[in-house]
Amino acid sequence: MSKQAITLTVNGVQRQALVEPNQTLTSLLRDELGLTGTKHGCGVGDCGCCTVILDGETVNSCLVLAMQAQGREITTIEGLAKGTELHPLQQAFVEAGAIQCGFCTPGMILSAKALLDHTPQPTRAEITKGLSGNLCRCTGYEKIVEAVQDAAGKMSEA
Amino acid sequence: MLLPTFDYYRPAGLPEALSLLAEMGEDARPLAGGTDLLVNLKLKKAAPKALLDLGSLEELKGNRTDDGKVSLGALNTASRLASGGPEVPGLLSLGAGALGSPQVRNRATLGGNLVTARPAADICLPLLALGATAVLAGPQGEREVPLDGYFQGPGYTVKQPGEILTRVLVGAPRPGVGGGYQKLGLRQAMEIALVNVAVYLELEGDGETVALARVALGAVAPVPMLSPGAAQALQGTPAGEKIFTEAAEAAAADAKPIDDHRGSAAYRRDMVRTLTLRALRQALSQAQGSKEARS
Repeated sequence: MSKQAITLTVNGVQRQALVEPNQTLTSLLRDELGLTGTKHGCGVGDCGCCTVILDGETVNSCLVLAMQAQGREITTIEGLAKGTELHPLQQAFVEAGAIQCGFCTPGMILSAKALLDHTPQPTRAEITKGLSGNLCRCTGYEKIVEAVQDAAGKMSEA
Repeated sequence: MLLPTFDYYRPAGLPEALSLLAEMGEDARPLAGGTDLLVNLKLKKAAPKALLDLGSLEELKGNRTDDGKVSLGALNTASRLASGGPEVPGLLSLGAGALGSPQVRNRATLGGNLVTARPAADICLPLLALGATAVLAGPQGEREVPLDGYFQGPGYTVKQPGEILTRVLVGAPRPGVGGGYQKLGLRQAMEIALVNVAVYLELEGDGETVALARVALGAVAPVPMLSPGAAQALQGTPAGEKIFTEAAEAAAADAKPIDDHRGSAAYRRDMVRTLTLRALRQALSQAQGSKEARS
């Protein structure tokens, strides 16, 4: 089967791409659209590095076919900052030292964003549950949880 | 990790999907959430020539209540089931909320969990305890299969390759009915249960006598299984610690666990006893709780 044209909205901008039937959404974002903030990790839905927000819900983009993104709305890490102004979650991650190697960070921040979109003032338990699909091998998670708590506080003041 | 080559079809409705499936036979696999199928393709455990994306099939979507029964669409995601709603049995929400991670729950579907049919499946166990029925659509029309008898082995069910699981029928949530779900794993997320237990408890009008009970056990047999001993011990008795202890003992006796790298058979049997007791207490408190208590 040959490539097919799809149309989707990525970070508020309508995009078109020619995709293979067996191409994943991760590959579409990285290889076709140049959005390399979405990381390719385990490839089987365990690590959460490739997390993006699809129609308001987080998904592992390694387990979504590019074809399935037809007509859908996607937010990647590139869609969070406004120009040079970081999103409060990004700023909080920097300030709390929640980023070490950084490979998990885009997925972690998108999971945190989806959590705060639904639960603006989460408890610690709600944060750890909300981030349970994202693995970090550096930080031990403490500073990530702190960063999400800080961002939730700042975002509610704003 | 790369996906093998395959053709992609997105049928617009159930008749088209069934005719494509009939045409291609076992070369085609229906695709729902993809959290199992796409992983299996990447791990080269399956190599279909085509995937039929069920995502546009309205027949598999939404939930309706009719005559005391709820018909749940196969495309309900685990997240949707976990967040509940008046038509979703509470027991099913508990199981669905224990599955995988948020990202996995946002994609994994009710139908997919039943078709993948793993012995510890978080959605299968509650449905088995609820006495649910699967609706299978095939070239000759629809048939309804009670889940007690649907599971045939790890990954095997009575569903034929030309059939698509479209909906699941369960009793509508109502007062006097409670559910309990207990999952034991080595961690709290992204875990396949070492042992899991789902309990459905229905009380008589006196709010004490057990009218009907079903105890479903996971990861202790080749398929999600019901414990006949526990059900028998409970039925017609006054609900409480004494009978719950007997029922938990009966469940442990009915379990058929094996030793494997994840745990020994003896440990699993002990945990069936403990988890059954906890799930029964949880179900009783729900059944006796508010008048709004839901199964």
